[in-house]
Amino acid sequence: MLKIDTFSANSLKILDKSLKEFEDKYIYNLNLFKKDEKALLGQKFHNLICYYLKGFEVEKLMLDLNDNEQKIFKNIKDMLQKRKKEGEFVLLEYSFNLKEELNKKAYYLTGRFDAVFKQKENYIIYDWKTLNIPKDAHNDLQTSVYLYALSKIFKTKNITMRYVSLTDLKYEDIPFKDEKYYKNLIDKIVLKIYN
Amino acid sequence: MLIQASVNSNRTNMLINEYSKLIQNGIKSEKILVLVQNSKKRKEFISKIKEISNIGFLGSFKIFTFFGFINNYIIENWPIIENNVKSDENRKISPVLCGLEVSQFILNNCINEVDFTGYNSKTSLLHQLLRRSNLINLNNLSDDEVNYRTKILQESFSKEAAEAINKYKAKTIQKRAFDYIRQLNLFEFLYKKLSCPYEYIFIDDADEIAPYLLSYFNHIKKNIKEFYIAYDKSGSSRLGYLGAINVDFEEFLNQKAINIDSLNNEKEKNAYKIYSDIKEEKPLVLDNINIKSYLKRDEMIDSVVFDIKNLLKQGIKPSEISIVTPLNDDYLKNTLTKIETDTLKFNFLNKSEKLNQNPTIGYILELLKIINKNSIISPYILKGVLIEIFDIDKKEAIKIVQEFKIENQNIFEIIKQKADLKADLKDIFDFYQKIAQLPLSKQLYEIADNYILKTRNNSKNIIKINQLLKQISDFEDVFKNDFDTNYLNNILLTQLSNSIISENPLSDDEIDDNSIVVSTAQKIIDYSHKTKYCFLLDIKNENWIKQDIGPLYNAWVMQKSWNKDSFELTDNIELSKDKTARILRKLYLLSDNFSLYSSSYDSLGIENITGIDKYFENNEQKAEDKKQIKPIIPRPDQKAVLDYKKGKMAVSAAAGSGKTTIMLLLVEKFLEGKIIKDIKAENIFVLTFMESAARNFKERIKAKFPNLKELPNISTIHGLCLRILKENNNYAKLGLDFDFEILDEIKRGAVITKCSLDCAITPDKVALYDSAISAYKNELSVYSDYKTSNRLFLKVFEEYSKILKQENLIDYDDLLFLSLKLLKENKDVLEYYQNKVKVIIEDEAQDSSFVQQSIIKLLSGKFNNIIRCGDINQAITSTFTNSDVTGFRKFIKEADEIQMDRCQRCATGVLDLANDVVKLAKDKKFDAFSNLIMKPVEGKNIIDKKAVSTHQFESEKEEANFIINEIRKIKKEDENASIAILLRNNFLINKWDEILKTNYIKTYKNSDALINNKIYKISLYIMQFISNPYDNKILEKISEFLYEQKIYDKSSLNYAKSLKEPIFLKDDYDEPLFWDMNYFLFKNHSSIYNLSLDIASYYFSNTPQRVNIPLFAALVDKIAKTQKTFEDTVSRLDEIKFRPYFSNIKFFSIDEKDENSEKSGKVQIMTLHKSKGDEFDYVFIPEMIKENYCFYDSELKLKENSEFNEKIKKKPKTPNELKKEIVEENYRLIYVAITRAKKKLFMSAAKKYKYYFKLKDYEPTSLFKDLEEMKIAKN
Repeated sequence: MLKIDTFSANSLKILDKSLKEFEDKYIYNLNLFKKDEKALLGQKFHNLICYYLKGFEVEKLMLDLNDNEQKIFKNIKDMLQKRKKEGEFVLLEYSFNLKEELNKKAYYLTGRFDAVFKQKENYIIYDWKTLNIPKDAHNDLQTSVYLYALSKIFKTKNITMRYVSLTDLKYEDIPFKDEKYYKNLIDKIVLKIYN
Repeated sequence: MLIQASVNSNRTNMLINEYSKLIQNGIKSEKILVLVQNSKKRKEFISKIKEISNIGFLGSFKIFTFFGFINNYIIENWPIIENNVKSDENRKISPVLCGLEVSQFILNNCINEVDFTGYNSKTSLLHQLLRRSNLINLNNLSDDEVNYRTKILQESFSKEAAEAINKYKAKTIQKRAFDYIRQLNLFEFLYKKLSCPYEYIFIDDADEIAPYLLSYFNHIKKNIKEFYIAYDKSGSSRLGYLGAINVDFEEFLNQKAINIDSLNNEKEKNAYKIYSDIKEEKPLVLDNINIKSYLKRDEMIDSVVFDIKNLLKQGIKPSEISIVTPLNDDYLKNTLTKIETDTLKFNFLNKSEKLNQNPTIGYILELLKIINKNSIISPYILKGVLIEIFDIDKKEAIKIVQEFKIENQNIFEIIKQKADLKADLKDIFDFYQKIAQLPLSKQLYEIADNYILKTRNNSKNIIKINQLLKQISDFEDVFKNDFDTNYLNNILLTQLSNSIISENPLSDDEIDDNSIVVSTAQKIIDYSHKTKYCFLLDIKNENWIKQDIGPLYNAWVMQKSWNKDSFELTDNIELSKDKTARILRKLYLLSDNFSLYSSSYDSLGIENITGIDKYFENNEQKAEDKKQIKPIIPRPDQKAVLDYKKGKMAVSAAAGSGKTTIMLLLVEKFLEGKIIKDIKAENIFVLTFMESAARNFKERIKAKFPNLKELPNISTIHGLCLRILKENNNYAKLGLDFDFEILDEIKRGAVITKCSLDCAITPDKVALYDSAISAYKNELSVYSDYKTSNRLFLKVFEEYSKILKQENLIDYDDLLFLSLKLLKENKDVLEYYQNKVKVIIEDEAQDSSFVQQSIIKLLSGKFNNIIRCGDINQAITSTFTNSDVTGFRKFIKEADEIQMDRCQRCATGVLDLANDVVKLAKDKKFDAFSNLIMKPVEGKNIIDKKAVSTHQFESEKEEANFIINEIRKIKKEDENASIAILLRNNFLINKWDEILKTNYIKTYKNSDALINNKIYKISLYIMQFISNPYDNKILEKISEFLYEQKIYDKSSLNYAKSLKEPIFLKDDYDEPLFWDMNYFLFKNHSSIYNLSLDIASYYFSNTPQRVNIPLFAALVDKIAKTQKTFEDTVSRLDEIKFRPYFSNIKFFSIDEKDENSEKSGKVQIMTLHKSKGDEFDYVFIPEMIKENYCFYDSELKLKENSEFNEKIKKKPKTPNELKKEIVEENYRLIYVAITRAKKKLFMSAAKKYKYYFKLKDYEPTSLFKDLEEMKIAKN
């Protein structure tokens, strides 16, 4: 059987819920590929934001959106433009890898920041949501994994996780709590597979 | 850093260490680009880096496969491309980075917009263009570079090709749809506009990179602080079509490579020896290489399985074994899967898999077709869908299918009507209604979601379904605005039915840890899959050496580095050899033990021409390993033949003189080096008249020399010519495409009929053109500038030639004429063969045609050792073929003639009669025979002066009664006697078959008919049952046959006869017929091919007949491809059952001496022509009337076709000359018939016969009277 030693926020969520479900999905690949229109739209916005922040000309690309979506993106652009004046987007669509140890065995965390914004000594992890902001964002595993990861990358505690609803630009901020808390939380879930 | 090392070194670890050092020195991982060959190696690389890293943040890896890098690069920088497209139509935030199937669809439409009139083979055009376009992209060729190559290759359709490819490119831009090869163009466009984000570059397997990457490295070189490159100097197994290029990395980096390959290492040394010896064509002998050779592929596979099982017994793990073959086909898969156990599993790595090869996917596709009304529904398939997908009760499913067959209405309507009775049927109907109008991807999703088990056992199927879902989604994304849903669904289904899950470099197969990998060489190399034991199969097969050239693509000339102004065939031979040497070297490095297996025939019974076998030689096995079989002591007349030393020898061998045995002894003597010292098997050429004789000859040689790796070249002239055309790509010198096919006789008939009717020839005259075309081609080979004045014929001929050219076909005549042309016009080819042919032995030389004799003469031009055996007295094919007996007559005069005039077969009376016929012809001034007079062998022939009798009857009934009585008498005395009835015409066979059968005498007719093969017969019956399970008549036939074969007993026969209702509705668990038929009826197969294999191997897999199992399955598969449904395929199988072969597939004739033999105890009925070469204890020749047996030219009426054939010739014979020739052949024909009889011969005629419903008076043949007079005169 395949050994899984690398976890993402999503796979941890599933492992937390059920070991069987985790194995079915990540070891046996039993999930069907589903074309999801809403997810596709989310992907479009993600790409556009990333291209825009990288400095690409995006006017022509925007023609791929309908009128309403174009209006939404214009608002997003305005917001980003404003932010750029206040600080700097230091990471864009950034994949990270962390090595962790648990009971003398290594495991790895991986994930992808949509964008990381730096304003003075403070970092904000931006996560764009086309659907809803997680109901319990404070206790969402993604929050923990991302805050933990960024704290390791920049060796700082001045981090906020910010979920932004792209349709109306409402957002929710969750500040960094405690490294040990995150580590314990993640370890506890990973242990499920070790046992 | 530059590391030169083979796959066996730890070069990858060295790279990983260097990577890790950089990280430790504070270099950000984003600045380091790592490129490896495929995703397996990528995973391994990443996991090793992770392993050796310290705890904490590891960075963001930029580790990609060669193609994955391109893919990622395009996504990251897409806006640049989008902003460069002028039109605002179809703007895209991200492109569709799709599979090859989308490209295929687009390119196919572009081809239709370009005029390719006159292009030879339309069927392969798409394929050719895809390859051309791929090579251009992989090699990063500019338009100028393509034009330059076009000139070198003197391509005739380059303009059209460029037009189609340009249209294709424009269309992919318009659609923003790019497959992984097309992406290379975009990549080049992008990197030239962008700055390089990397400072360090790591490349593993750098010898396998293609020019597109090298161009990139050159472009960014100045920005890179350091390259870390690991390569294998003699690597580059992907040279040629896969685009790898030989790079001088030392020059590229301007530094010396660290060489960690040590030539002191025995393995490396041997690997290099493989490489260099192959290039120099020195046959290799290495200690840990074993070679085993077999005649039939089945025997080879059996031996492999046996050897593998032995290894497993010794404790070798499956993962330590690999099987490598270019023919990783269904047959092999099937055979190996059958022996799978819990501990022995096979993992088949297919380069590309047909969608329907996966049973689940196959049935889902069929269901989608049914829902979308994409094709005619086959009841057989419908049954499978109902059972396999909807899980309907099996009996219920058959009932529904039967209703569907009768009512012929929408299947879901039938289900709806039955839904009141069963809840699950209602669900199915509701489900159908819910999804019927959805796009295909959604329909597929719903089917999979509702009806496919999502269990771990089904994991592989889910992965395949997901691949398919992704494929369909891509397709829909690209085309959804062009077509409405229904139409798009149907286009897609049609495309998918014909397509394969193409190799996608972004998603590789996983290698199972616990199984034996079965794979092509390239995949094993790509994955660097190391094993202790590597079994190389089919090493005689030409597919080992890939064809990298075609009419519109040439992987060699299209290499970026090509710098010659011409392309010669020797270039192709050298380059292919170089690539093969690289592949074999790498394969060798990956395994501790190399075992090589070959078979003379492939799974279709077609001779393997040339593979990699020629590069290896077996240490121990030599011709001396002859099996000691009781030695044959030749008679003095035979011994003279065996005393042959050199030069030309003509052997005139009388009927029954033991010619075959002596020829075999002669070949043995050659093999043992007793005639020409140090001669090799490959220098001995034997030509037989019939394919079956060649197969037989080989089997006998193989039986005597079981360890002989290479057999002499034993084939028909057609087999030899096919080999000459294929070997070394000689076909290209004749302007043929590499995938040319041979038109079989049946298809030839269809083509001629079409051409004739198109030229307004009336149907009754079509047959005339059939033989005339062949005769005309023969004329053209003698007089190259000749043109017949018969305009109508010429028109048909030209039309026929045009169709052949268009469809890339050649006929059997072309095989010979083209080979002759090739040898005449190409000195190098001629020399090649003349050096090879140290002796050529021709059997049945009297039937040799002018062209055949010219070829033999040319081939033997250097050593001049020609042995031609035959019997002028038995030349009986000249009236319907191009055979030319005068050639053999002339040869006899020129050469040393040996006469084998002793006939030990016939009773003395029969012998006298045959000699009398010779004398009679001479007396009547016919030049029918040679001067050979047959003599008996002391102590061998039966002395019976009354062995021959002639009989005349008032009516045909009397004649029949006489024969029946005689047969009964014979059978009473000698149950095992062989008896034959020989007839003048084919149509009489059925008549005599009928007569004997109504008198309860068992018959055996036309031994070559497909249906006479046991496998064909039982499989056809069972397939007929499957297509109609309500028909109990067929069950009677099945049980009767199985009873005859002693598989069933009498009670099964009675059971079948007593059945009143369909067998599948019964519960007769005691009856074998019930079990067997239920098995066949309810077992669903992924393809007709697999079904055929299953049926064909059910009863005979442990008998010698099993070699015909793959042939049968291949034959059915070929038919299925031309038929719409399973049921149509079965009907077609029934229609062709009396043919001797189909589409060049011919069963191996199994010499079954046991009591189950098809012939045993039966009276054989055949034509006189067919009887040649055979012998029987008792021979009857009835219906010897003047019309059929005419021995006076004055009494002969010429047939229309004889005259027609003459008229198109340059020097036509006069009707009188023609008549004389026919009478002469009649003399020889009766001579042949007479000499078949060992004990007794009965010749008879009646005064009245009813032919074509008309009863008429007939005179007996003049032969009776003439022989009588001769006898009187003698006395």
